[in-house]
Amino acid sequence: MLRKEQNDYLTQTGPGTPMGNMFRAYWMPALLAKELPENECPPVRVKILSERLLAFRDTDGRYGLIDEFCAHRGVSLWFGRNEHSGLRCPYHGWKYDVTGQCIDVPSEPAESGFCNKVKLKSYPLIEKGGVLWTYMGPADKQPPEPEWEFASVPADQTYTSKRWQESNWLQAMEGGIDSSHVSFLHSGALESDPLFKGAKGNEYNLNDLKPHFEVVENDGGLLIGARRNAEDGKYYWRITQWVMPAFTMIPPRGDHPVHGHFWVPIDDENCWAWSFDYKPNRKLSTTERAALERGEGIHSPVDENFYPVSNKGNDYLMDRGAQKRGETYSGVHGFAAQDYSLQESMGPIVDRTKENLVSTDNGVIMARHRLMRSCKAFNDKGTLPPGVDPEHQKVRSASVVLPPDQMFKEAAKDALKTKPGVAHASV
Amino acid sequence: MAMSESARMATAEEARFRINAPNSKPRIIRIVALDQPAEETVRRLSMSDWKSASFYSAARYNSEAKDIDKNGWFCAISGEAQDAEAEIASADLVVMIGSVGQQEDAARKLSEICRARNVMTTALVVGDQSKTDAALSKTLAQLRPYALMLVIASAEDYVEDMLSALRA
Repeated sequence: MLRKEQNDYLTQTGPGTPMGNMFRAYWMPALLAKELPENECPPVRVKILSERLLAFRDTDGRYGLIDEFCAHRGVSLWFGRNEHSGLRCPYHGWKYDVTGQCIDVPSEPAESGFCNKVKLKSYPLIEKGGVLWTYMGPADKQPPEPEWEFASVPADQTYTSKRWQESNWLQAMEGGIDSSHVSFLHSGALESDPLFKGAKGNEYNLNDLKPHFEVVENDGGLLIGARRNAEDGKYYWRITQWVMPAFTMIPPRGDHPVHGHFWVPIDDENCWAWSFDYKPNRKLSTTERAALERGEGIHSPVDENFYPVSNKGNDYLMDRGAQKRGETYSGVHGFAAQDYSLQESMGPIVDRTKENLVSTDNGVIMARHRLMRSCKAFNDKGTLPPGVDPEHQKVRSASVVLPPDQMFKEAAKDALKTKPGVAHASV
Repeated sequence: MAMSESARMATAEEARFRINAPNSKPRIIRIVALDQPAEETVRRLSMSDWKSASFYSAARYNSEAKDIDKNGWFCAISGEAQDAEAEIASADLVVMIGSVGQQEDAARKLSEICRARNVMTTALVVGDQSKTDAALSKTLAQLRPYALMLVIASAEDYVEDMLSALRA
């Protein structure tokens, strides 16, 4: 449970808020690169951390992320003409480059230099791994570029999607580090989803419905270990990574691609659920890629606005028959939909004053604890939060079988770090 | 077109109508220090204002001692001997707090009592930068069989946050 002021502290990410300031210390996914497919393509509205922005790709292939609204009379530059190395407002022709610098005000004499005095807020936008990343903090504190493995492997080894989720970022992210719900909510998916089924580890999941948990701090955030009984007195560990503030990586199953999420606040009541799947040691197969593109696994079929096909407007295509027959636990089909349907049902910002947490929620409790501590240290003293350092991003999740007396963080140390070209540790 | 029920009921407006009445009874939580360094942590915790948490020490537990159940191994953090079975029987959760590098014999005894009475256990080890990973691993191996949840916290302040989160 959190007090109201603690809940507000963690969930509000707009400009000037403490958590908003901390989010602005990181590179975050902003768009899929395919949303700006070519030079001079149409601009795209982007809202992140409660800021209305516009992304475009100019004549020379440079990316820009600028204030959505023309400085003149407040027209949305979404209507802008992307041409001749800038974006021109169609109302009175004011033109801006990718840095938001106004470079032409047709109604003023060029010699006046008036346009030099006009500059829209802008943020850097870089491409890495098929994703366009932005950093929205002070320019003089810009961190090194992101080093997440899924965005560093060759393009044919990785797949990324995004989905609009109608809830605050935190209740979405907490689902990613809450291992205890898998045996219930996703029990049907383990045997039916092509991106999960058939792994040896699934047997351990299904045979041991009371996993034991261990939570330990890591440089970038937390490691959450769920252990179940394996053969010969050993333990099957599934080790989830959480890197602050909002990166989670789910332990792999068999030889399936390994996956995870970023949760990026759109505003306080909506977030982007970024989902990735990748293999560090091989291409994704045709079958795997087709399944990912269909929205299987942790991905979701979405429309042209990245709004999920199964959504609250159609009651998430609830299928009570499937629930009764045991095909799905909640009646909702699809791994991702099973999560977001419940998370959205909590309300746009869940009221955590009414919670009754239990011991197995310690992953969530510790994540909140680290977020609050790091956020306070960042805002009060400028202490760089965990996860900004690219070394904290070179991590993997893992599933391993270990003897009973071994600490997973130590025994699986190598498996929890990236190693180019080497497969994940997986059961 | 009318909104679906899920769409309507997930709005902020509808969230205002959540029932504003207690949805649980207070949970009785016993916090038990397993060793002497942990006793200091538990003693400091006991100074804060808690609704339904009480604080104990099992640091004097010695599995080799004669008449183990009579030697006052389980006491309130203030020092008075307590009946472990009675205190645990009335609890909803027992949180055992240990320190890196210590013998945690009491964990087994407490776990036996908890299991007999269907009381949930959580074990928490407060880390110590000066101790090795091997020492931590040994402590965790001692505790692992006796707790459904095992937490390794780098600093003591986590314990207070955890107890608040659990409504102690």
